[in-house]
Amino acid sequence: MSRDAILGRVREALSVKTDAHVREVAKKSSHSLPVLANGPDGRTQAVKEFLPFVGDSLEDHIAAFKVLSEKLQTEFIVVPTIEEARQTLERLRQQHQWKRIGVHDHELVQSCVDQLQVEFLNTSSNYDARELEKCDVGVSGCDALIAQTASALVTNHSAGGRALSVLPPHHVVVADASQMVTTMADGFALIREKHDEKWPSFISFITGPSRTADIERVLVLGAHGPKKLTIIMIAA
Amino acid sequence: MSQSTNPTTQFQTDANRVTADDDRRSFLRSSLRGYQTTRTATQERFLNYESARIAAGDAKWEAIENLDTYLAQFADKLEARGATVHWCNDSEEARSAILEIIKKHDAQSVIKSKCMTTEEIHLNDLLEKEGFEVVESDLGEFIVQLREEAPYHFVFPAMHLKKEEINTLFQEKLKSINTNDPEELTMVAREVLRQKYLSADIGISGANFGVAETGMISITENEGNARLTTSLPKVHISLMGIEKIIPRLEDLALLLPMLATAGTGQHLTCYNSQLGGPRQEDESDGPVEMHVVLLDNHRTRLLADPEQRDALRCIRCGACLNVCPIFKNVGGHTYGTTYQGPIGSVITPHLRGLKDWKHLSHSSSLCGACSETCPVKIDLHHHLLRNRRDAAGKGQGGIGEKILMVGFTIVMRRPWLYRLAGGLGKLGHVLTKPIHGTRIDPFYAWKKTRDLDDPAKQSFKQYWKSRK
Ligand code: SF4
Repeated sequence: MSRDAILGRVREALSVKTDAHVREVAKKSSHSLPVLANGPDGRTQAVKEFLPFVGDSLEDHIAAFKVLSEKLQTEFIVVPTIEEARQTLERLRQQHQWKRIGVHDHELVQSCVDQLQVEFLNTSSNYDARELEKCDVGVSGCDALIAQTASALVTNHSAGGRALSVLPPHHVVVADASQMVTTMADGFALIREKHDEKWPSFISFITGPSRTADIERVLVLGAHGPKKLTIIMIAA
Repeated sequence: MSQSTNPTTQFQTDANRVTADDDRRSFLRSSLRGYQTTRTATQERFLNYESARIAAGDAKWEAIENLDTYLAQFADKLEARGATVHWCNDSEEARSAILEIIKKHDAQSVIKSKCMTTEEIHLNDLLEKEGFEVVESDLGEFIVQLREEAPYHFVFPAMHLKKEEINTLFQEKLKSINTNDPEELTMVAREVLRQKYLSADIGISGANFGVAETGMISITENEGNARLTTSLPKVHISLMGIEKIIPRLEDLALLLPMLATAGTGQHLTCYNSQLGGPRQEDESDGPVEMHVVLLDNHRTRLLADPEQRDALRCIRCGACLNVCPIFKNVGGHTYGTTYQGPIGSVITPHLRGLKDWKHLSHSSSLCGACSETCPVKIDLHHHLLRNRRDAAGKGQGGIGEKILMVGFTIVMRRPWLYRLAGGLGKLGHVLTKPIHGTRIDPFYAWKKTRDLDDPAKQSFKQYWKSRK
């Protein structure tokens, strides 16, 4: 079987140790800067210690998230209560003239959209992708917001499947301030805890609306995914 | 690309043609300047970019040096989640594995998101020959596919094209409106491709990383096309080289920002998705089948090289191309390889044979810009030298080079001969001056791309004597 053949070749190749000089080059820095211990823990620590600093408090995180969102052209709205989140969605509905919206069974999502006078498509159980394609917007929850990268971390459980957050032309995420974490590593740790090794089949860090710069490096939003990304965070 | 069968001749011919095209070269350069500016700004936000490079490199070292364990773990975990893993020794096996899946499902159309490995195994040619409709969904890939040419750069496939050229192309092939506006052009592609996602039976993607610990592939993209490709069709096939493995999920928290920063200058690419298995029981959408096709195709040969296995740590960010003076001058197509630029020049001789591809190691100025920029600290320019050494050691240096080296040794060992040669050289230079730059100059071919200054009035030896 090819599995054995390939693994056999890999083992044979690795029976010769890596050239010590080559290995050394990759470890050395000509700038004599700090190096953490090698190995998994060192690397997780590196995410905090070497990557951009975004502070430790929620205020710091929100501030950092705002700055990056502006650059990414993510619409990041912080509201004090669920009630205001509902109003924000109503305002967005009027502004963009939503007629049909995709949603899923998610407590926060449901309590934010239930008063909207629109047609709903629920993606929490079997649904028709062609119908979802006709929706003006998909409203979903998330697992975490990542301060260091201004991303919304989603899985098919927290975001109503794989397609709700990417097929309609506008994606709205509703989140609670308690979901804000510092790094992507913290985000993974959360999912690890929540699902206890029974991983969802889909995890994604969404960082801004879909984009391309494939034509002469000119930035165009909405290449294939949503042209607009709105993140509404309730900071009670 | 010229149709010449010999890669060395093809490289030379194409390099000569492209370097003469000043307009295209300055277009390329200005676009790479834009990349450099964005990247510098993003890199400056790091608390410590240099240290982050070492840590990121460490993740890949751990994976490569324990590849047997991690590969097995990756496959076992994925299969436990209901995915099927196909182990393929070479291109041929990978092509037939994929073809078999497609045929089994009676599929008509296939949608693809960007995957350089499918270029490596020439998948599209095969599928089209078999009568399937294959559509590339990444905008850059879509454009070069319509032009029936290879990607120019493995991260920016259509970077060599001007918007006017894309306009002409779209009008011709898609009957689209006449517009030079990048936004409008992008929307034309969006509309065409939307329908394809919904109707395609099979989605084919690549993988930027394979997470051993959890049995997931990770895909990095900006457009959302890979997400649609892996969500809507009922079958998802992912093709990945065996070197894409990383040990743990958390390693992505470091590698993904590094990939984005070095690759495009973004702090993070728009969508970074981890996929582990087909749709699960408690999930509402996603493909009913997931196949991961693992490809060796001589990667184990590279792994067996205790020095150059270093290159298997590559995360395909493309940064080494962007800073390479050779790439900037000869352009992407000249390489004639799936992977262009410095990393391509290092690995292609291992993947496709040193004899035909050793010339790539000579198309280097050894400036070291590639090694300096690599986010995982691959010692690229020294590997180019190692390839040269290996080619010479295997007696592939060519007879001319050998004669030259023997002559050089004779002269260098005899001071009187060295002095004589120096004097004759000077004399020859002065005497041939009237014919410099003309075809009767015996060194015409050599000087065509080089300037030879007049020799100094005094040799170093003479200078040293007079100094005392
Ligand atoms: S060799 Fe380094 S710089 Fe070049 S593509 Fe690979 S990771 Fe990027």
